[in-house]
Amino acid sequence: MSVAASVVHPTSTEEVAVTMRAATADGVGVAVVASGRRFHGARSAERPFLVMCTDRLTGTEIYEPADLTLTAKAGTRLTTLAVELGAQKQWLPYDPPHVEERTLGGLVSTGESGPLWMGYGELRNHVLGLTVVCGDGRVLKLGGRVVKNVAGFDLLKAVVGARGRLGVITSVCVRAFPRPAVDRVLVLRGDSVAALVAVARAVGTAPVMPVSSVLVAPARAPSAGAALLVRLHGAEPTVDADQKTLERHCGVSFERAADAVGLLASARDHVADAEVELTLSVLPSRLGDSLVAVRDVLGDVPFAADTYKGFARVAAGESDSEATSRLRTRIESLGGALTARATDRARDVAGLGSRMAPSAAALTQRLESVFDPKGVLWPCRP
Amino acid sequence: MTRSLTAAVARALGDIVGRDHVITDPDRLVVYESDGLTAYRVAPRAVVLPGSTEELAAVVRLLHGEGIAVIPRGAGTGLSGGALPTLDGVVVGTARMNRILEIDPVNRLARVQPGVINARLTEATRPHGLYYAPDPSSQSTCTLGGNVAENSGGPHCLKYGVTTRYVTGLKVVLAGGEIMELGGAGRTADGSLDLVGLFVGSEGCFGIAAEIEVRLLPLTEGVRTLLGIFETMEAAGHAVTAIISSGLVPAAVEIVDNATIRAVEASVYAGGYPVDAGAALVIEFDGTEAGLDSEADAAEACCHAAGAREVRRATEASQRAKLWNGRKKAFGTMGRIAPDLLVQDATVPRTRLPEVLASITEIGERYRLRVANVFHAGDGNLHPNILFDRNDPDELHRVEQASLEIMKLCVAVGGTITGEHGVGVDKRGYMKLVHGPDELAAMAEVKRVFDPTGLFNPGKVLPDVEAAHR
Repeated sequence: MSVAASVVHPTSTEEVAVTMRAATADGVGVAVVASGRRFHGARSAERPFLVMCTDRLTGTEIYEPADLTLTAKAGTRLTTLAVELGAQKQWLPYDPPHVEERTLGGLVSTGESGPLWMGYGELRNHVLGLTVVCGDGRVLKLGGRVVKNVAGFDLLKAVVGARGRLGVITSVCVRAFPRPAVDRVLVLRGDSVAALVAVARAVGTAPVMPVSSVLVAPARAPSAGAALLVRLHGAEPTVDADQKTLERHCGVSFERAADAVGLLASARDHVADAEVELTLSVLPSRLGDSLVAVRDVLGDVPFAADTYKGFARVAAGESDSEATSRLRTRIESLGGALTARATDRARDVAGLGSRMAPSAAALTQRLESVFDPKGVLWPCRP
Repeated sequence: MTRSLTAAVARALGDIVGRDHVITDPDRLVVYESDGLTAYRVAPRAVVLPGSTEELAAVVRLLHGEGIAVIPRGAGTGLSGGALPTLDGVVVGTARMNRILEIDPVNRLARVQPGVINARLTEATRPHGLYYAPDPSSQSTCTLGGNVAENSGGPHCLKYGVTTRYVTGLKVVLAGGEIMELGGAGRTADGSLDLVGLFVGSEGCFGIAAEIEVRLLPLTEGVRTLLGIFETMEAAGHAVTAIISSGLVPAAVEIVDNATIRAVEASVYAGGYPVDAGAALVIEFDGTEAGLDSEADAAEACCHAAGAREVRRATEASQRAKLWNGRKKAFGTMGRIAPDLLVQDATVPRTRLPEVLASITEIGERYRLRVANVFHAGDGNLHPNILFDRNDPDELHRVEQASLEIMKLCVAVGGTITGEHGVGVDKRGYMKLVHGPDELAAMAEVKRVFDPTGLFNPGKVLPDVEAAHR
C-alpha cells in the first residue's frame, strides 16, 4: 500500500504544469481528484504519489449563449454551470450517476454521457476544446471553441474518457443545448426483467427516438420489481405525439409518474454507490442475455441499463474476483466487454479493470507514452 | 519525375489483387493525379485497387516492405488534396471494396466496406425505416471510407453532427499491413481510449479503414423547409443568430449569397430565387409532424425580424427539392462564371458571421477577386468560393494571398482553418495559425504511434519547416 505524500490545490494551468514537471523530476506519481467521489484504488498505487485536487481550478471563462458554447475551468461544478446556463434556458444534457456532484473536468475525464446520449449525442462529440497538461508538464490546447473543427489529428478524442491517463484537464469548452420545453419520463413497472427488455427493444426500433431509455432494478430500493423509464423531450404537442407513437408501436401504456426524474436518478445513483461497480456493454439486442448472465453469476443485484446502447451498471457489492472473472467471460462470449471498479472499502480487488485485445492494448500503451512519457499519471489504476 | 515500379513489385501487386487492378499505364493514371482540389496534380507510380480486407492488408504489407508510400483514396472528391499522390508513392483505392456487409435494423447499425458510396447506404437502409445522417454535398459520389478519413460534414450536421458521431467501430489496416479492430458498438465498456475517435479524421495518415460500423437513425416523420430572402448577407447572418439563440434546433441552416444565386438561377437548376436578393437562407426542421409548423413559424418570425424581404415554405418533396437547388447545385454552377473554383472552408463562432462576411467581401474587392459564398450558416462553417483562372499566374497569386487573409481573419475571431474539408496538402501551411509547436509535435508523435515509418499519406496534414508560412 502506498501513501499520498501530499495534496496540492493548483489554481491555474501554469501551476498544474509546474507541479507535473516537479513530480516527473522526483519520480513521484500524480493522482488527480476532481469531485473526489470516484477517487478509488489508492491502495493499489505502486509508488509514492501526490494528490492533485482541481477544486480551486474554478470559474467560467467564456460563455456565449448565442453561440451555445461555454468554456470553464475543469474544477467548476456542473451544478454551478447549470445555474449559469439555466438563466439562458440552456443546459448540458448529460446524466451519468451523481452528475450533480461532478466537476466539468471530471465528467470529461470519464467521458460518461449517461443515457441522454441517445437524444443529444455523446459528450465526446460536444467537447469542442480542452487544455490538458501532459505527464511531463507540456501544456496542450486541443480543439477550439467552434462546433465544427477538423484542423489536424483529433487528439482531443483520445483525452475525453481517458480517465486521466493522458494528462490533467484544466479547462474545457463544451457545446450547450437549448433546454427542452417539456421533460417527460414515461414509466413501465413490472416484475419480469425479460418482459421489460422486450418492451425496451420495441422502444429501440420505434419510428421516434426518445432522449433516453433506461431499465432499472430494483425500481426503488428496497422494494422489488423493475421499471423501464423512457424520457421524451420537446414541445408539448411533439412529446404528446411521440408518446402515442411509442405506445402504439410497443403495445403498452406507460404511466406518467410525477417523481419519475427522481426515480431515474435514485436508481442510477444507487447502483454507482456499490463497493464494486461493474460496467458492461453488449449490442442492444443482447442486453437481455447479458442481464441473465448477471443474475446467473451474481444473483438479483441492482442494475441500471441504458437499453439503447446495450450498456449496464451493476452493483456487485458482495462479489468476489472469481465471480467478476466468470461474468466477464460470459459477457465477452456475447461479444461485449466488462470493466470492474472498486472503492477503497471493497475487500477483494482482484480482477478489476478491463481487458483489451493485445494489439489494441499495445497501441494504447504507446499513445499513453506520447502524453505521459515517464508514466507519472494514473498511479492508482485498477 | 515519377519513378515506375520495378517489374517485380508490379507483378507481386498483380498477384495479390489481379493484374487488371494494378494501373501503371500513364494515360490511365491521369485520373488519379488529383482529387477535388485540382490546383495540385502529381502522377502516382501506380494505382492498386484491392477487393477485400485481406488483399488491402497484403498490398500495404508489400508496399511498406519495399519502403513505398501508400496514398489512400476513396472517390477522390476531397477538397483539400488529401488524396494527392506523391512522386514515389502508390495510390491504394477502395473503389472495389464497395459492399454493404450488414444492415442490422434491431441495433440500428450497418457494417460497410470503405468504398460504399454515402448516399447508397441511406438508400439501402430506407426500407428498414432508417438512414445514415451525415450528408456531404458530394454524397452521391463520395465514399464512406473517405468520409471517415476526412470526418466529413454536410448541411444536416447542424442538428445531427458530423461523421465521427456515427462511426462506432472500425477494422483498420495499419503500417506493415497489420489488421486491427478498433471500438465496436457492443464494446463501449472495454476501458480503452477512444481509438475510433482518434482514427476518424486522420486523413489517411494513420492507416486505411477496411470495414466501418456506423449508427443509423430512424427516418423522420416530417420536414418543413423555409427559404428566407434577404437584401444583405448581414441581415441573413442576424437571422441565423436569432434562430439559433431562440432555442430552436433546425436540422439545417444554409446560406447563399447574390453571386451564387445569380449563377444557379442562370442554370438548369434555377430554383426561383430572386436574382437581385443579397442573400437567401434555406432553413429546415425535421422530426415529429405535430411540432413542425410551430417551429417553422418561429423561424419565419426570426427572419422577418431580421428584415427578410419574403419567406417561402415547402412541405412537398418537389417544392423542397426546388428550394434546396440553389444551395445543393451551387458548386456545380460556378463553372458558368469562371474556369477554376477554390472551395474554401473555415469555421467561426456563428455570432461573428455578419462581421466576418463583411470582411471577406472587403478582402475579395482588395485582391480584385470574385468570391461567392455558399455555406453552413448554422454551424458557422464558411465556404467562401474564390473564382479564378489558373492560367493567369497573377490571379493565382492573388487567390493565395486572399485565402491566407481569410484564414487569419477566421482564426482571429476565435474560429479555425477548416470545418469539414480537412487539411490535406492545401492547409498544411495554415496549421501554425491554430496550433502551437507542442500541439503539432504531439500530433506528429501520435502519427508515429500508428505509422512508425511514415509511409501512410506522407506530406499531408502536418506542416514541415519549409511549408510553415506561405
